[in-house]
Amino acid sequence: MPNQSGSLYGLTILSPIIDDESATPSHDLQIREYLANLPTDCKGPFALAPYTHLTRLAVMDDVIYVGMPSSEEHLKFKYLIWEANFDGDLDRYLVALAKTVPDQINAIWSHCVGYPGTANLDKFLTYMKSCQLETTFYFAAVNDKSLTQTLTALQTQRAVADFIAKHRGTPAPELQREFLKFSARLKAMPTPLPAAVSHPRGIKTGGRNE
Amino acid sequence: MSNINGKVYAMNVVTPMKPWKTWFLRLIFFLLGAIKSKQQDLINLSFIEFARWVIVPRKSFPRPDERMDAEELRYDYLLFFSNFNGTWNQYIDAFSAVLFQGLNLIWMWSEKFPGSVPVTPFKEYISRVQFDTDYYYTAYPHATANDLKAAHIVQASFDQLDATTATCTPREFEAAYLKFMLQVQSHLGETGEPPVVF
Repeated sequence: MPNQSGSLYGLTILSPIIDDESATPSHDLQIREYLANLPTDCKGPFALAPYTHLTRLAVMDDVIYVGMPSSEEHLKFKYLIWEANFDGDLDRYLVALAKTVPDQINAIWSHCVGYPGTANLDKFLTYMKSCQLETTFYFAAVNDKSLTQTLTALQTQRAVADFIAKHRGTPAPELQREFLKFSARLKAMPTPLPAAVSHPRGIKTGGRNE
Repeated sequence: MSNINGKVYAMNVVTPMKPWKTWFLRLIFFLLGAIKSKQQDLINLSFIEFARWVIVPRKSFPRPDERMDAEELRYDYLLFFSNFNGTWNQYIDAFSAVLFQGLNLIWMWSEKFPGSVPVTPFKEYISRVQFDTDYYYTAYPHATANDLKAAHIVQASFDQLDATTATCTPREFEAAYLKFMLQVQSHLGETGEPPVVF
């Protein structure tokens, strides 16, 4: 199925934006203004709701005229483009967004033609699917790991690097005991929050070969 | 506008295609999807986290409300969305140098596509058909595609060592730890703030 790569789903949605001459500012500008102030860190809607690896929203004002001898043409509507890369099933993802961050989803899509809101989940799903485009070709560099697995692996990578640096030259029996303690600590740590900022490890440099 | 978040850049491109040409492009994408070895250059580039191409037929622009006017277009449109590490120039240069044959096969059906080599008219074309992102989110802004692959290698090696540590002798652990070090030593690069690019 072209919308999927391994365990990941590539969602592409084009929602026509309401064209209302009496709206001031216009609906596309209202979307842009809202998106410009929407957090992209761990307080953002796609971090609060589960499953999203990467996502983007963009207002497409018109198609692009590439010059003669091609024909110039224009869209009747501006479109809100939503491109998302997430774990697993489409319905589960959309329902999770609608339930976790309904205010943000409604604030964005309330400027789009025919948007029914998130209160009625069936209508919400029907609307989103009516705006969905099938992906023709989808590529994901890592397509067999969930978001949780990836965030955990990044945490493990940092912790392992620290452990190795701190235990250089440690005798095997002590190293084994230390590793068991380290492993238990690491496994007890909570999964890092999505989009959380990682702090520098403070690697010491300045050796003879640097 | 926010095309960049941490170490990832969001590119959006839209190009017009004559509808009869669309079918050739669909066939190429079908073959690219079916023959995995044809994706090797894309994988080897190693700085693309996610990418997709979407063909929008001229009569298939979404109409969630049947009362709204249908678009009246002569062209089908090819949308391209990429999430890559590095700068715009690095990305286009690498595409042009490594993937020029593949790129030409994909975009030669689009109107006025000049070819991906030489790079100057190719960059001018991409600049013309690109549009900006208004909101861009990534769950791991400080990690590149290579960081992700490396982290999963470290995790797998760690799990393997961890599974036997409690039951093996110190001498056995020493050998297993050495093997673990050899497996992970080139995958421990630090993630963090992206460099400032001018």
